[in-house]
Amino acid sequence: MFAWLAANGGTILVSAILIAVVSLVVIKMRKDKKQGKSTCGGNCAHCAMCGSCHSK
Amino acid sequence: MSVKTVTKSTPHSFQKKLGCKIVEISALKETGIAEAAEAAIEAAKNGKTVPQHTFSGPVEHAIAHIEEAALHNLPDEQQRWYAIKVFERDDKVLSQLNIPADKLTHIESDIKAAETELDDDSESIITNERYIYIAEILKSCYKKKNAGALSSSDKIDKVVTNRWLGLPIFALIMFLVYWISMVAIGTPATDFVNDKVFDEGFHLFNDGGYTEIAENYAGASAVVDGYDSYIEENGTAPTGDFTYTVEDDETLEVSEVSASITDYENAKKTLEEIGDEPDPADYGIWIPSIPALAEKGLDAIHTADWLKGMILNGIVAGVGAVLGFLPQMLVLFLMPAFLEACGYMARIAFVLDRVFRKFGLSGKSFIPMLIGTGCGVPGIMASRTIENERDRRMTIMTTTFIPCSAKLPIIAMISGAIFHGSAWVATSAYFVGMASIIISGIILKKTKMFAGDPAPFVMELPAYRWPTFSNVLRSMWERGWSFIKKAGTIVLLSTMVVWALSNFGFVDGNFRLLESEELELSLLAYFGRAIAWIFAPLGWGTWQAAVGSITGLIAKENLVGTMGIFYGSGELTAWEALSQAFTPVTGYSFLVFNLLCAPCFAAIGAIRREMNNAKWTWFAIGYQCGFAYLIALMINQFGGAFTGNLNVVGLIFALAALCFMIYMLFFKKYKEATKLA
Repeated sequence: MFAWLAANGGTILVSAILIAVVSLVVIKMRKDKKQGKSTCGGNCAHCAMCGSCHSK
Repeated sequence: MSVKTVTKSTPHSFQKKLGCKIVEISALKETGIAEAAEAAIEAAKNGKTVPQHTFSGPVEHAIAHIEEAALHNLPDEQQRWYAIKVFERDDKVLSQLNIPADKLTHIESDIKAAETELDDDSESIITNERYIYIAEILKSCYKKKNAGALSSSDKIDKVVTNRWLGLPIFALIMFLVYWISMVAIGTPATDFVNDKVFDEGFHLFNDGGYTEIAENYAGASAVVDGYDSYIEENGTAPTGDFTYTVEDDETLEVSEVSASITDYENAKKTLEEIGDEPDPADYGIWIPSIPALAEKGLDAIHTADWLKGMILNGIVAGVGAVLGFLPQMLVLFLMPAFLEACGYMARIAFVLDRVFRKFGLSGKSFIPMLIGTGCGVPGIMASRTIENERDRRMTIMTTTFIPCSAKLPIIAMISGAIFHGSAWVATSAYFVGMASIIISGIILKKTKMFAGDPAPFVMELPAYRWPTFSNVLRSMWERGWSFIKKAGTIVLLSTMVVWALSNFGFVDGNFRLLESEELELSLLAYFGRAIAWIFAPLGWGTWQAAVGSITGLIAKENLVGTMGIFYGSGELTAWEALSQAFTPVTGYSFLVFNLLCAPCFAAIGAIRREMNNAKWTWFAIGYQCGFAYLIALMINQFGGAFTGNLNVVGLIFALAALCFMIYMLFFKKYKEATKLA
């Protein structure tokens, strides 16, 4: 078991980091969607009508 | 009012007439804002307001009745405001006051009497009298500089919005914008990021003599290799001059070079002096590339091959392909921010409005399209300002034909890889978008669904002004940051999925990680091949291009990331591999299809919300994909016919599509609407 962990330690570590990053990205995207933030490249924040498009 | 246009203003007179302190401010220069806020706080502390404006007799009579009948319990300073709101029949105020029905009937009779006497509705009466009051105050307090004469803005507009010069000037400005961002500044910066940061690495400050030694080594190696290959081919050493072939790393051009025996002896000597091939890391301050750094780190901790492949060939290659365009994007975001801040963007709307109306589109349709150059989602949402339902639906369907900022990396990739970075590709992409809107406008207006005149369009042109440096930079940064965030979220996830699907597959009944030469057996290749035949008439019926177009639906930048994974993992760079996979004709057909077809899912969601109807949403997506397909088909088939790659069946279909379009554009009669939308 220990030998297996030692041999695959790097893979486990990198996989864990990758899973954490992906989870954070998914959480952030879900949070943004709930807050009505657009996923597009354009920024509506300075539009006077922003409130009517993106409910807070 | 602008200080520039005023010669004589009398703040004291203003103060007297408005009953409050007047503070001069400049939003652009950010002067006087704190003083204005302080004056507002001071005025609020006062508590009591004295009415400065007196309405006409019938209105004042009605207001007095309202105050007496329903508002006498309220504080004195609030009574007049509430009375005016009741006179305007403001729903919120009426529900807040909860006035008994009998009193409301009495008030209503007073309001109606005033409306009859002034021949207008109560709300318009108040608005109109306030405007008259404002005009009177202004007339007595300030004098216009050069009254009657043309201002600088007017003089510029005489040229820029001229009936004949307007469009050529617009085309020239657009060309300059893309030339600066794609060629002059964008290309060197993007080349640096793509070639150095994400490929080879680079020397900080100076190379410590590396370039000279590397060139000597490469030149000497080529001569020695040429000598060796001569012996291999002829079985004997050359006695005099000999020739050998050299391949250019960048253009892949193969050329013949001749050398003498003396050259060979010198080259051998040079190689002996230099020794092993020079490593750039041994000279100057060497910054390794991100993939090299990541590979070194992953090797150091003995990461499994599949995970290393996912990180290097999936995430780094895919996200790197998108981020490689960041410098170009920043320059490209800077230019429209400048045009917007100086006031020219509004002129573009004005210039193109005149053209659009001739083709049966509403002038108001242009605003969503203008916003759509940034992003299709707010562009589609901006169609809400169009009252006419037919015009609104048509605008929603055609807005995304204009390339949004997410499509710019696709344009830059095709332009750079296949057209040697020509600025004409990007400029033509916008004109293809505009032409598609015009053609769609004419064709759709001739169908029963969209028949009828477009709604009138009124817009105010702001005066020209020099934009502030900070505002333009802020606008550029906001858009740039959105681009980076998108690369780090949605593009990152997509590249991981695309890598996994393109690197795992069934080999002899076993599901496993594929070798680099087995990509044809991947899950994504199976899926791509199942749909690739659809795109074969467009000239790019490969599974890679088909899958790239599909992943573009998640986010348009994804197409670049996907192509980076498919074409950038081998020995050639992504651009070199792309230039071999596509001809200029098929490359342009691929570009046009991806610019005009259905937008990303976020924009499709916006179409669904604004259409508020599933059938209309599907019709819009179907129309966009069908139109994109026909245009790309015509580009490939006609282009192929001209470049000697003739396909008779394809050409017949392309001609049929062209004839149908010509019939709809020029011969089919307009049908008048039978009912108002």
